[in-house]
Amino acid sequence: MKPLGLAVRLLWRDSRAGELTILFLALLIAVTSSTAIALFSDRLERTMTDQTAEFLAADMVITSHATIPESWLEKATQLNLAQAQTAEFSSILIEHDELLLAGIKAASANYPLRGFLKTTTSDYLAETIEHQGPEPGFAWVEKRILSALKLNLGDPITVGEKKLVVSKIITYEPDKQGDIYSLSPRVMINKQDLQATGVIQPGSHVHYFFQFSGESSQLTEFKRWLKPQLNLAQRILDIHEDRPELGSALDRAERYLGLSSIVVIIISGVAIAMATRRYTERHLDATAILRCLGCKQRDVLWLFVSQFLILGLLTSALGCALGWFVQEMLFKLLRNLLPQSVANPGWLAVFLGLITGMTILIGFALPPLLRLKRVSPARVLRRDLEPLPTSAWLVYGLAFGIVGVLIWQYTEDLNMTVTIFCAGLVLLLILGLLIYLILILARRSLPIMPLNWRFGLQGLLRNNRATISQILAFTITLVAMALSFTVRSDLIENWHKQLPERAPNHFALNIFPEQLPTLQTDFKEQGIEGSQFYPVIRGRLTEINDVTVQKIVSKDSQGESATHRELSLTWTENLPEDNKIISGTWWSPEKKGEVSVEQKLAESLKINLGDQLLFIIGGQQLTATVSSIRSLQWDTMKPNFYMIFSPGTLESFPGTFLTSFYLPDSKKTYLNQLVKKYPAVTVLEVDLILKQFKTILTQLTEAINYLLYFALMSGFTVLFSAIYSTLDNRIYESALLRTFGANRSLLRKTHIIEFTLLGLVSGVLAAIISEGLLFALYSKALNMDYHPTLYLWIALPLIGAFAVGLAGCWGVRHVANIPPLRVLRDS
Amino acid sequence: MTLAIKNLSMMQTQQSRNIIVTENLGKSVKTSNGTLHILSDINLLVTFGESIAIAGESGSGKSTLISLLAGLDTPTAGSISLNGKSLTSMDEDGRAAMRNQLVGFVFQSFQLLQGLTALENVMLPLELRGDKTAKSAAVALLERVGLSERLTHTPRQLSGGEQQRVALARAFVSKPAILFADEPTGNLDSKTGAKIIELLFELNLENNATLILVTHDQTLANRCQRIIRLDAGRMV
Repeated sequence: MKPLGLAVRLLWRDSRAGELTILFLALLIAVTSSTAIALFSDRLERTMTDQTAEFLAADMVITSHATIPESWLEKATQLNLAQAQTAEFSSILIEHDELLLAGIKAASANYPLRGFLKTTTSDYLAETIEHQGPEPGFAWVEKRILSALKLNLGDPITVGEKKLVVSKIITYEPDKQGDIYSLSPRVMINKQDLQATGVIQPGSHVHYFFQFSGESSQLTEFKRWLKPQLNLAQRILDIHEDRPELGSALDRAERYLGLSSIVVIIISGVAIAMATRRYTERHLDATAILRCLGCKQRDVLWLFVSQFLILGLLTSALGCALGWFVQEMLFKLLRNLLPQSVANPGWLAVFLGLITGMTILIGFALPPLLRLKRVSPARVLRRDLEPLPTSAWLVYGLAFGIVGVLIWQYTEDLNMTVTIFCAGLVLLLILGLLIYLILILARRSLPIMPLNWRFGLQGLLRNNRATISQILAFTITLVAMALSFTVRSDLIENWHKQLPERAPNHFALNIFPEQLPTLQTDFKEQGIEGSQFYPVIRGRLTEINDVTVQKIVSKDSQGESATHRELSLTWTENLPEDNKIISGTWWSPEKKGEVSVEQKLAESLKINLGDQLLFIIGGQQLTATVSSIRSLQWDTMKPNFYMIFSPGTLESFPGTFLTSFYLPDSKKTYLNQLVKKYPAVTVLEVDLILKQFKTILTQLTEAINYLLYFALMSGFTVLFSAIYSTLDNRIYESALLRTFGANRSLLRKTHIIEFTLLGLVSGVLAAIISEGLLFALYSKALNMDYHPTLYLWIALPLIGAFAVGLAGCWGVRHVANIPPLRVLRDS
Repeated sequence: MTLAIKNLSMMQTQQSRNIIVTENLGKSVKTSNGTLHILSDINLLVTFGESIAIAGESGSGKSTLISLLAGLDTPTAGSISLNGKSLTSMDEDGRAAMRNQLVGFVFQSFQLLQGLTALENVMLPLELRGDKTAKSAAVALLERVGLSERLTHTPRQLSGGEQQRVALARAFVSKPAILFADEPTGNLDSKTGAKIIELLFELNLENNATLILVTHDQTLANRCQRIIRLDAGRMV
């Protein structure tokens, strides 16, 4: 016997007879969706990584207060990493008798390694994208510099002792850090001119940034080599180490997309298992004949396994091609939400899609197929001889193993894999048990049901396992979609709700004390509502109760980042709005040398009432006693401070003022006047930042929702698998009922009842689970108020009933039309 | 006396009325090798209360004929009427309704619904009719066939003979005018089969139904009033 030839022939005949259609479709959806998701995630991840790398102007940056050892640069060169350097410091510029505190950036030739700069030479001309900084001898400046120092393009500007020519206006800088250097107006010079400025002296306060980019494996190796050598003043910045809000958002997005993919795979796997079980049952007789004719058990198994492998390869290949097409369509659909340039798809993701497809097929189809090995040849004489079902250990073990591996692939974290796997298993078991109890209840209520309902319910009770699988598949999908939609809507709505309509949307910083009265007058004249003007002094916390803070704080905590940089310190007589004393007392006006600490920072730094905190401010030391711990609302768009001092404590230190204010769109042009009149003042347009955040949130959840549609499609394959696995039975029963006088209308009604109930139960369960998860999510993770969502209780059952009802009735649409003659023919 | 004569006269009239009439009935199917004529030129008159055996070798068209007579299939030639109504002009729903009102079936392989109990299987024809006495009628009939202890058992829990008795009860619960039996003892041993046949004829007599019986068994065929033989789709 030539097994492969026979296998191909049988495969061809079976496929022509429609035996393999549902199996083909289930696998196709699984592979298409997993490939599309893999490609989409891969492209999205690489796009977002590229974008966030832009924020750093590199893939990785080392920050330091001094130059780094040459050996570090040599190591980077060995690893083929591209390198650039910038140095930032403040310097007073004096031109035309005007003084201005500017943030100077000296950039090496390769800067920026990622992203680009933008410049212009006129208000009327378009911006130009620049891939490197100014040449030696030239300076690029922010527009404020020109107006403040009464300069024009082409004029000389002196930085320190170096005279440079102002050649361009900087309009965009990718890695503008959120500290004092970037808040001062920018002057960018070439690194080769730095020495000549004479500004860098021993003890100068300079921030060095050493930038690197290259292959992620090389970067990881460099980082691993570097980390043990860093001192306290040096830090690594990349999308995970710094910009934690982006890093963790990216991590969360990747995980959510990956877990969505797993949901699709699991549901598709169930469909494949059901379709294969039906295929097996329909081939028991043929297998018995083959055995009777002398085919060995292992040859029989190989005959069918090889058919599935061939089918799997062909379907997976087609699925990969479709998956590629689907992710292209996804990117086109989301074009407006995604960056203009999106990373190209990678072949590895396609190959992974193919591997995933074959893995799913083997994992979920092999156990039912194994049954064919045990078919007795005596079945040719006694059809009641059925081979034993495959061991449940093998069936579930293989399936769980594959799911576990897939989860681990996406999380890359064994602990998280075990947690998700166990939590998922427990959830499924509890849900399965709940559904089983519902089915028992339904069975008990059969005798009291009218005929239509009885037949409809009996359709659900025909096979408990199949019904439970279908309900689970739809419930999980509906829950995922409900969560995604509800959380996004609530996040945006909550965010809008908690901000009053005229909440401050701009910050003004670096306001000098002598400018305060005139600025306040100007605001009043313009009708601008602002918050209180807070004095700001920059200082660093170095000791708590004579113990160095680095010895107290734990790594990567909020407190740790607060000790690595200068904090914005302020003083005020009255407790600010939205601040609440948690412990201790607010000071009376004559109290000096006291400090009030923000609650979460206090917890992180283990600060208690009465502790002595030592600060270094402008080279001088200041000790203050903790008199209260406060909680505050960070998202009110008003100035908030970790440390507030009692009046009389900080007044002797030089500082500036800051405030926040509301400016409607119609008055945006006032900003130009403000900047012109107060050139040293930095204005942050927070509303633009918030808009971007909202866009990112919308973008992410849209992508997730599109991916969840695949989960829904997979759910429908489970439904159709279940229908087709029971189709023979349904046709037989329908024919028998028609023989005894049931008309097509009765049969259709029973189908409508069966599938609508299936969808309704799924929807109700989904509503229960969604509410539970939303409660947990809102109260524990998002710190938002939780309110039961009535629309879920209405929408989910209705959607479930309608969608599943429609799909199910479509799947069995021919059953009512089969002539009852089949009854006689089959006997 | 007059009343007795009137009743007798009515019975005789009824008996002389035909319940099944076929004219040039035929059934052909298209195959890849051409047209296959399964039945041709079947002209049959069956009167009320008559018992007819349809005999013939395998492949002679017996099952096809019975399926046409019962309205389970439609002829490709000729006409057929049941109780004065033309079957050929009815749609499938019409034929289904007719079957529910007039016809009972007993099959070789019992054809019980596996998911229903014995009681529920027997109740089925009456429930489809909307008869509120379905349960009591079914219980009575199951008692009649000796299965009062097995009302809640599913077909899997019954032997072949017991399943066929359930099938008999189901066939007669709706008091059919015609009973079609297709090899009712084909899947039973001779002893059990004999019991089933006795029960079949007893119930048929009690219900005064017309009996159309397909069988290979000559002894069984001889118990009927008439034997129709088929050979290659034609009456001989």
